[in-house]
Amino acid sequence: MSADTGARATVTTAAPTSPVRTVRPRVIGLSWPAVAALALVGLVGAVAFAWPFLASADFVRAHGNDAPWLFAVLLGLLTLVCLAEVSSGRLDAKTIAVLGVAAAAGGAMRLLSAGTAGLEPMFFVVVVAGRVLGPGVGLVSGALAVTTGALLTGGVGPWLPFQMLCAGAIGLGAGLLPVRPAARAERWVLAAYALLTGLLYGAVMNLWFWPFLGAGTAPGLAFVPGAPLTENLSHYGLFYLATSLGWDLPRGVLNAVLVVVAGPALLRVFRRAARRAAFGAPVTFESRADAVDRDVPDVPDVPDVRDAGPRP
Amino acid sequence: MTRPERVRERLQHPAAWWLWGLGLATAASRTTNPVLLLLVVGVCVVVVTERADPSVANPLVPFLVLGAVIVVLRLLVTVVLGNGTGGSTVLFTLPRVPLPEWAGGIRIGGPVALESLLYALYDSLRLAAVLACLGAANALASPRRLLRYLPATLYDVGTAVVVGLTFAPQLLADARTVRSSRALRGHDARGLRETARLAVPVLETAFERSLGLAASMESRGYGRALRSTPRDRRLASAMALLGVLGVLGGLYGLLDGSVGGALGLPLLVVGALLAAASLVVGASRDTRSRHRRDEWALSETLTVACGAVAAGALVVGSVAGWEGVVPPQSPALPAVPLPAVLALVVAAAPAVLTPRPRRVHDVQEVTA
Repeated sequence: MSADTGARATVTTAAPTSPVRTVRPRVIGLSWPAVAALALVGLVGAVAFAWPFLASADFVRAHGNDAPWLFAVLLGLLTLVCLAEVSSGRLDAKTIAVLGVAAAAGGAMRLLSAGTAGLEPMFFVVVVAGRVLGPGVGLVSGALAVTTGALLTGGVGPWLPFQMLCAGAIGLGAGLLPVRPAARAERWVLAAYALLTGLLYGAVMNLWFWPFLGAGTAPGLAFVPGAPLTENLSHYGLFYLATSLGWDLPRGVLNAVLVVVAGPALLRVFRRAARRAAFGAPVTFESRADAVDRDVPDVPDVPDVRDAGPRP
Repeated sequence: MTRPERVRERLQHPAAWWLWGLGLATAASRTTNPVLLLLVVGVCVVVVTERADPSVANPLVPFLVLGAVIVVLRLLVTVVLGNGTGGSTVLFTLPRVPLPEWAGGIRIGGPVALESLLYALYDSLRLAAVLACLGAANALASPRRLLRYLPATLYDVGTAVVVGLTFAPQLLADARTVRSSRALRGHDARGLRETARLAVPVLETAFERSLGLAASMESRGYGRALRSTPRDRRLASAMALLGVLGVLGGLYGLLDGSVGGALGLPLLVVGALLAAASLVVGASRDTRSRHRRDEWALSETLTVACGAVAAGALVVGSVAGWEGVVPPQSPALPAVPLPAVLALVVAAAPAVLTPRPRRVHDVQEVTA
């Protein structure tokens, strides 16, 4: 596509009135089909995690061994459909760059914490990205951070779709938190959210392989096909306490502490990046004749990057 | 090993290796015979040692370790907590620990039977073998090479992943630089506060770099390779929604069991196909020439066929109930079905049939 030589594009941005801009950019707007697809895929995801509590005994007899694999394939496909619906070919290069940073942060954290499973401070970047750039970006960056980590460490397995769904949900939720940007309470709300999601993530992720332990593990901890819901729930609760809480609690606490300590600075970094990328700035075309006698600033008025934040 | 001069060294198409790995994993998931399962793991190890993708660190070992950990944990849990399957051959008896009323049906200690240990071993070996197959696929073809084959609707998302893959090592290098410079200034380089201090300059640099990348992408006409009309997108959205609804309906029919078979699996499959088709319909790419294309030659077809033979044999065996595919937990060696063994030996053939991988620089591009 050749550029129109008779016109020139100018990006007009309002100069920031205060050091912290409180307008949240809509980087990835969610259209109604995307929201509907998200809701439906969320339902399928809930079924994929909670099927041991819902399935009838004869389903477990017939498909008990295949069900976790079936759900992994199904969720993999549906997560891709979700990402396609949310992005739907409308992402510009700047959005991709910001998503790439979130994905790189997730991948780097995975490289660092490959030895300490469970202590993944990845979510803390995803929470901040979702908080600053809205639920759409939170969703995509959560899913991409997990994927990048898996691709870097060669850990592509049946757990990946489940992780993508959970991490995406964490980013989406962070974007929907009802707290005013740059408010004093923001840091504490985000920290509480990081603690809660760190715990929930473990509780939910354990569900995908719990059925693998089948009817043949310890009585009282194992999944009993066709048993009443309360019995299976109490069994799962005991299983979670026995196997997983020890890993999840440190993860949740670590994420929360990181948000408290580094949250405000990171929020500033992300907000400044969003402002410099000038998301949502109207692009107007005008003929060259008009442009000559009007002094249009080419560069949005941004503070210098190096005048804020602690020096390395 | 001598090889004919005319066989050019090249990397196999990644999709062929992944299809082979999934076929072998399907075979492993249908049997609990320890002999067959160890044979599957052996096939994975042989093929990976012969034909591993040289551009990545070998990820098969972590997968094997994970499998071993699963087996050991299952056996330990069975010894300490028992499992639902009792047995007549009691090996030894652990002292019972009395538990309060609310702990329900849990018992700690008690008699340990050989049958229940065998049950745990067979069952966890199956999971370990499936994981070994996935690890082999990861080692034979780095999954990042599959990014090229994402459908056009996921072009943007794929690009973001490639940007992430490229920047992640640089991010770590930046973090190391910042840490050493802070250490030179006399800061103690430990503790959470210090980690938090690292995050700001490192991410600041990453944003600088990526916004620069975005500017250069825009100036080079990024994304023009995509053709997508509003009509296409609406059609794709409609198909995606219908597909997910079909999947939900199918799952309901499957899990409930009282609805009837027609609403279950068939509806699920139709919904999944619709959803998959929506990925293809939404956008299309301009055809363009490509650097270093993956070719699909005879060896790729043979690789996929070998995986399919293994999967087919064990699926047929488990349906027809061959002796030894699902052996009983008795203190005797399980019967080994010969056709299944032969099929698994066939699955090892790609270690010889395929071209030797040549060391290439891992080109990270999602051009299509």
